[in-house]
Amino acid sequence: MSAMDASSPAAVASTDRRQGAWPNGFWGLLLLLATEGALLMVLYATYFYLRTRAVEWPLGGIEAPDPVVPLILTATLVATSLPMALASGAARRGRARAAWIAILVALFVQAGYFAFEMHSFASDLDTFQPDDNAYASIYYTVLGADHFHVFVGMLLNLWLLARLLGGLTSYRAVGVRAVSWYWHFANLMTLFTIGTILSAAV
Amino acid sequence: MAVAIPPAIERRLDRLERIWEEPSGLVGWLTTTNHKRIGLLFLFTTLLFFLAGGVEALLIRTQLLAPEKGVLGPDAFNQMFSTHGVTMIFFVVVPMSIGAFGNYLVPLMVGARDMAFPRMNAFSFWVFLCSGVFLYTGVFAGHAPNAGWFNYVPLASKEFDPGPNVDFYALALLFSGISTTATSINLIVTIFKLRAPGMSINRMPLFCFAFLAVSFALVFALPPLNVALVLLELERLAGFHFYDVGSGGSALLWQHLFWIFGHPEVYIIILPAFGIATSIIPTFARRRMVAFPLVALAEILVAFIGFGVWAHHMFAVGLTQLTTIYFAAASLVIVIPSGIQLFAWITTLVTGRPRFKTPLLWIVGFIVFFIVGGLSGIMFAAIPFDQQMTDTYFVVAHFHFVIFGAAMFPLVGGLYYWFPKVSGRLFDERLGKLSFWLTFVGATVTFFPMHIVGLLGMPRRQYTYPGGLGWTGYNLAETIGSYVLGAGLLLVVVNLAVSLRCGAPAGDDPWEGDTLEWSIPSPPPEYNYAVIPTVSSPYPMWDREDRELDERRLAAGEMTLERGHETPTSSVEDANLDEIVAMPSASWAPLLTALMLAALFAMLVTRHWVAAGGFFGLAFAVVGVWHWNEPEGA
Repeated sequence: MSAMDASSPAAVASTDRRQGAWPNGFWGLLLLLATEGALLMVLYATYFYLRTRAVEWPLGGIEAPDPVVPLILTATLVATSLPMALASGAARRGRARAAWIAILVALFVQAGYFAFEMHSFASDLDTFQPDDNAYASIYYTVLGADHFHVFVGMLLNLWLLARLLGGLTSYRAVGVRAVSWYWHFANLMTLFTIGTILSAAV
Repeated sequence: MAVAIPPAIERRLDRLERIWEEPSGLVGWLTTTNHKRIGLLFLFTTLLFFLAGGVEALLIRTQLLAPEKGVLGPDAFNQMFSTHGVTMIFFVVVPMSIGAFGNYLVPLMVGARDMAFPRMNAFSFWVFLCSGVFLYTGVFAGHAPNAGWFNYVPLASKEFDPGPNVDFYALALLFSGISTTATSINLIVTIFKLRAPGMSINRMPLFCFAFLAVSFALVFALPPLNVALVLLELERLAGFHFYDVGSGGSALLWQHLFWIFGHPEVYIIILPAFGIATSIIPTFARRRMVAFPLVALAEILVAFIGFGVWAHHMFAVGLTQLTTIYFAAASLVIVIPSGIQLFAWITTLVTGRPRFKTPLLWIVGFIVFFIVGGLSGIMFAAIPFDQQMTDTYFVVAHFHFVIFGAAMFPLVGGLYYWFPKVSGRLFDERLGKLSFWLTFVGATVTFFPMHIVGLLGMPRRQYTYPGGLGWTGYNLAETIGSYVLGAGLLLVVVNLAVSLRCGAPAGDDPWEGDTLEWSIPSPPPEYNYAVIPTVSSPYPMWDREDRELDERRLAAGEMTLERGHETPTSSVEDANLDEIVAMPSASWAPLLTALMLAALFAMLVTRHWVAAGGFFGLAFAVVGVWHWNEPEGA
């Protein structure tokens, strides 16, 4: 461990005292999420801005989305925050295998969610196209942006699974913690996304 | 300098030298993760873009020299003024501030050995360079941006601007936004976590406060711009509808999104200048900054309030009266933190014993221009005045006083101020002063008459004008002024370039500066600090006891971290030592990732969607490989 390499005894003592201060990598992730969160918030705001200008919503006789299936799917995705949190905790305690299994479970559910969502995205496209009108455009853009975040999260989990096969280092433990928080963020944003999309039915 | 170094210390320095050494030659520059090299790469690249933007400005001014000139036709003129604005804002002022000054100086000022994420830092630079090359590929292919720097729809929509010009604009800004976001995150984490133990937040130099505020503003201001650009490109390339009213969109949506970014951007442009001013003034006034905590708070407050005033750019578009009144009032509030800083600078100078050397002259020029530009800014907060003056040359005068006079002057002052640190040599003081006066007079003669022609009704962005309207003499003066200004800036470059070879040795601290970078040799060694410095005030160089303690600790090998490629991290508020972290060393991955992204954007602008997807995948793969390679000892 690099901390032991510190030439100053004070450095070692301080590291021993260290109680869960956020490492640099975690700070970096938080700021990335801040900027990503702002981006998605601006997209939601755009959705409602366009809605307030519209005479009808959805525009052009497109049917409002049915809430049941999206809500069930979202609840399933949000539940993956639990195995991701468990993975983060296990990695911090140095338990590589437990972390690996928790990430695999999460990835399995996330992949299922993503497959369902892709299917529903494709069937939406059979009904109306993004270039039909502003409602269709913002609908697909908001949904697409959220799906993209889920997709990136799945890639990150795949990467972690590959990495943890070689055991844990403090660098990788920070990685698991960061990706776990990425998922909490992506899940929260999916809640906002689904709330925005379903608001058309209200 | 001639003092003999004890052998024990020499061995220590040699060891550090070996640990932090990077590959030599071109490979060294292509794979570097050293913040000083990356800062210099940013500086040289932004200077090239500055030259390009300057040539565009001179072409514009030459066309407007006299009525009915034919130097540029209407289409070429549109491209020139749009590219000038985009270049100066996105490829000169911001990257020169945060990329060059931020990268080079923030780690030095906080007493760190590098930025928090060295490889991401290199990535920021390569992305910035590639995005600039991308934009200028469009320019040289005759497809330069042509709908102004704020690119209003419907003018910028496919229907009215069918060529790839606007696509180059939008994609280049999205591309460069990746670099700016990465640099901002890096600066924030560096300032939060890499401060030398003991440098609690209230002991941090005001320079770092300014860069912290800018970085936070960028993290939250760029997303609205990115959304606006993505929506625009979805509309232009894929036929979506966001901005066209006929399909349920809104043209004003672009203006809102652009200015929610655009107004904070104004403060993003000016805040680094504030930071540089607050570094130079105490050094040359030979006293501590007046009202330090108020100035620190004002820097943060300017960035914060900047987010609540965007619609003052839209007073003439027919918003409700209540909305315009709110935004007018909010705009006036910014006067308070700006005024606090202004009075603090002036009071520090007046109550100190100022030495009017070249760097301070540029700061005095900045204060003068900031007052003029600030006062015309206050005038725009008056709604009826704004509605009368919008889109005239009065606006052009106002923002050039602010962006050139108030933002660029401190950057040039900063170049002079830190040149001895970076190069190890002194510049020619007489030439320095001459370059200041030429630029100052040139800028005044160029931009001040624009107020008058604006009041006389000359619209901005007009490629020519008829004689007999009373505008001719002023325009002639402006053009002459612009050439004088150009000569002044050229003299800055000549002075620094010649001094780089022939200047007298500068020593560690030629100005008796106040911040930590002056405690180390010029140019700084690759590891920056042989011993992580002791800090007990925001003016560590004036705390003699701390510097003597550093020397004793170096001799004793305390906090020298000479066993690995390491730097300490500390807690965010109090800067208690947290842990020693291993830092990554030279890597090809940042450059390769940036090249993959460049290919991705090239495919987007030429509409090869599948290939674009392929390069996106490759970029991801390289990022994976990049993180596979962990810093040793992590």
